[in-house]
Amino acid sequence: MGKYILKRCGYIVVVFLILSFLMYALYNLIPSDPARQELEPMRQSLKADEYETLYRQTRQRMGLDDPLVVRYLRWMGLWKDTDGTFNGVVQGNFGYSNLYKRSVIEVIKAPMGNTIFINIFSTILSLGITIPLGIYCAVHKGKRFDSATQVITMLGYSIPVYIIALVFMFFFCVLWRIFPIMGTKTPGMTYANKWQEFVDMLYHIALPVIVMTFGSLGGMTRYVRSSMIEALSMDYIRTARAKGLKEKVVIYSHAWRNALLPVITSILGWFLSIFSGSVIIENTFSLNGMGKLYWQGLNNLDFELVLAIQMFYSIVSLVGSLLIDISYGLVDPRVRVDK
Amino acid sequence: MKKLFAILLAAVMLLSVAAVNAEDAHQLIYGSTTEISGDFAPDAWWTNNATDKMLRDFTTDYGTVVTDQGGALVINDTTCENIEGEMNEDGTKTYTVVLNEGLVFNNGEPITIKDFVWPTAFSCSAVSSEVGAKLTGYMTIVGGQEYYDGTASTISGLRMLDDKTIQVTVVADKVPYFFDLSYAGFTPFSMKYWLGEGVDIADDGEGVYFKGLTKDAIEEQLNFARFHAGEDRITAGPYNLVEFDQASKQATLVKNEYYQGNFEGQIPSIEKIIITKAEDATWADALKTGAFNFYDTITDGTQVNTAMDLIEDDENVDKLGYGYDFVQFDRPGYGKLMFHSDFGPTQFINVRHAIAHLLDRNEFANTFCNGWGGIVNGPYGTAMWMYQEGEEWLDENLDNYAYNPEKAVELLVEDGWVYDEKGNDYVEGIRYKKVTPEEAGTYAHNVTLEDGTILMPLIIEWASSEGNSVSDLLSVMLANGEQTAAAGVKINQNVMSFAELLNYMYRDATQGDKYGVPTYCMYNLASNFTPLYDQAYSFTLDPKLVADGYNSDFIFDEELDKLSMDMVYGVEAGDDDAYLEIWQNFIQRWNYLLPEVPLYSNIYVSVFPDWLEGYDQSSYWDFAQAILYADIVE
Repeated sequence: MGKYILKRCGYIVVVFLILSFLMYALYNLIPSDPARQELEPMRQSLKADEYETLYRQTRQRMGLDDPLVVRYLRWMGLWKDTDGTFNGVVQGNFGYSNLYKRSVIEVIKAPMGNTIFINIFSTILSLGITIPLGIYCAVHKGKRFDSATQVITMLGYSIPVYIIALVFMFFFCVLWRIFPIMGTKTPGMTYANKWQEFVDMLYHIALPVIVMTFGSLGGMTRYVRSSMIEALSMDYIRTARAKGLKEKVVIYSHAWRNALLPVITSILGWFLSIFSGSVIIENTFSLNGMGKLYWQGLNNLDFELVLAIQMFYSIVSLVGSLLIDISYGLVDPRVRVDK
Repeated sequence: MKKLFAILLAAVMLLSVAAVNAEDAHQLIYGSTTEISGDFAPDAWWTNNATDKMLRDFTTDYGTVVTDQGGALVINDTTCENIEGEMNEDGTKTYTVVLNEGLVFNNGEPITIKDFVWPTAFSCSAVSSEVGAKLTGYMTIVGGQEYYDGTASTISGLRMLDDKTIQVTVVADKVPYFFDLSYAGFTPFSMKYWLGEGVDIADDGEGVYFKGLTKDAIEEQLNFARFHAGEDRITAGPYNLVEFDQASKQATLVKNEYYQGNFEGQIPSIEKIIITKAEDATWADALKTGAFNFYDTITDGTQVNTAMDLIEDDENVDKLGYGYDFVQFDRPGYGKLMFHSDFGPTQFINVRHAIAHLLDRNEFANTFCNGWGGIVNGPYGTAMWMYQEGEEWLDENLDNYAYNPEKAVELLVEDGWVYDEKGNDYVEGIRYKKVTPEEAGTYAHNVTLEDGTILMPLIIEWASSEGNSVSDLLSVMLANGEQTAAAGVKINQNVMSFAELLNYMYRDATQGDKYGVPTYCMYNLASNFTPLYDQAYSFTLDPKLVADGYNSDFIFDEELDKLSMDMVYGVEAGDDDAYLEIWQNFIQRWNYLLPEVPLYSNIYVSVFPDWLEGYDQSSYWDFAQAILYADIVE
């Protein structure tokens, strides 16, 4: 097992290097001039000679006149930077955001915190609802409740999340005024303690979490349901029932444990997705999260920021797939994870 | 399930009860369309984000030279006893600024002459470039370049004569300059707060110089000062930036009790202002529910109409406890069609005029702005004092290029667009013109006949940015308009990203060889004008400056270039009549040459709560300035 994990870690490094170079090259193919972009808003207030000098300095500072490979190696920290030092990914510097004028790590901190905070609640709530609901529907397959659940979950699955967000916003915020319409903090609020701050944030993210949960109910409920239906039709279930075991024991100890195998991939995927923000939800509810940051980075051609976010997600996804493979072995003794 | 539903409902109710509303009944909450980036450096040293700038303006004042409600440069009497300028024999100009005594920062500490001078001295130091600040002061001040290059130990043109007298000498090639009072502008920033304890400036009689200024010595403190918000942030504006919450992107401003007033002695009445982010999709609902209650500079006509509906919504007044009011003002700029006037069909003035006549600009502006906009006939905004002083003159002397397809055809025929693709007389389809090899240039659609005659077709290659509603309307009203086809003109729309459009517009070969080749004749974009209307070099004939991105219209007209330069460099500061005369001649020449067709100039609207009294905003008098005169009435 240890050898297998080491081998997979080696693959991760190789994939990361190839992917990072491809991404870096792709972004540099986009026809834009970061130096000009930075100075364009100041153009009117600068005299011609001043603009020219600043443009030259900015290009030099950004190292834009060097070949692509040099710039990539510099970004990786394997080539000397314009100030003569090695200062890249290898040294822990994941780049500099031209939009925010600070290191990418500093820019990402707050949005990442918000995204994780929101996604934890959304994931727990979604799994807390969908797993029991899926099991209940599978056990009561074809009954009125099952049919109704199928319709409702299909609705949540089919309607785009921005529609759900706007509809929920209209009812909960504009019409009934139960939840705040945007942000993560009551404007002008001074908190007496951390608990008050926590409650205020919870209050603000309640509606986005409800929307995210509603939007994700369909997929997982149907997945759990179909997996359970398949498990319940197995011979060993009939045997368990013939042995006179209680129905609860049959469902949760025999059927659910076996139904868990395909479901676990999705569940792990969900937990890994707590790092990724929703562009639509965060923009609609004005939440400062990773999705919104990524969107802004792309819109403003802030490539080092976007690249850092993408490389982070690449690592999360590579590590995630390793964890999923390992977890198969742990959950199902029939699967041997050593090759 | 019932249990689960009950638990969920209980949780919702608990949160609703637990959530605490804002402390004050009437609290001004400003919804900003631009997110706060959190860089609060002096002026645009690093970033030029609009909301960062606004926060900077709230927390910075006492500049010796400021702009007034009309955008004109004025001496700040709160800060200055006197400013005098004197021309020297060598062509340089020296300003002497005498400061008032008794000004203090927001922590009560006195503002010294060093706090006024160090930012200018810093702009003459190479350390400013080392830390990535975009400063060019060294190019303006005598001795600045030498100090920057390290060949001089002092900035000879910058002096601290005593504890309250600053003297600055401007290099000869930057004067006379109509806005040269701006050279005497010094704004105080706490040197201790920005550069740290170890750095000082001095003047031993030969000019100002720094002591202990190195990148390593200041970088940590400078970065702290740039991004820090809190009670201990040392500033000298009407408000203190007491909080910036990175997670919620929300900033809180509290009145500076030590503030002694703006250039008119005005101090703010409103105790606290919150700045938060507004979203395009939900700003109206946010106003409706009071998530924020100030929405600044709505530019889109449809959004303005939505705001008007909200203002008239009495039912919401009952729910919210207050209503909304608004102020409107003209945009200091316009949306435009821009031509490259040196190649292809648009190199011919009649073609540019014809295109203008083929578009019903009044209808275009009305449709695009939903009634909240109009048109101008030159590179100006209706809020400018030059426009207001000379409105009648402009009406009489400028061509408004009214919608007139017949006139467009007349102009084209007069210019020789009278052939078809075989060189026969034009009957229908696309018009062609016989051109010289110089005129033909690299234009891709040219046709060469067997006898060597070169025919240029009237095909306009138009570069338009993606997701742009102006482009969509132009496509319908101009490019695909029946009148355009009937006139024998074909306009090909080429959609691209804005970054790529700029590459083509500037012919920026550094981004790829293809951009260096003239390709598109027409672009659509927008321009805004700063209060200091300076078009110098915008129509330069100098190939080096053109290569650097100046004269992006590629119109090479000596008279236009001369007028644009004379307007600011040929007029003494304060000689408004001379400036106005040259400005009018410049606008008239521009209007005749028509390197751009102005499409629309919006009317902007700002919405504010009806309990805000005395608020009056204009094109050159923004929220941060206007709010000082407003008050909250219960």
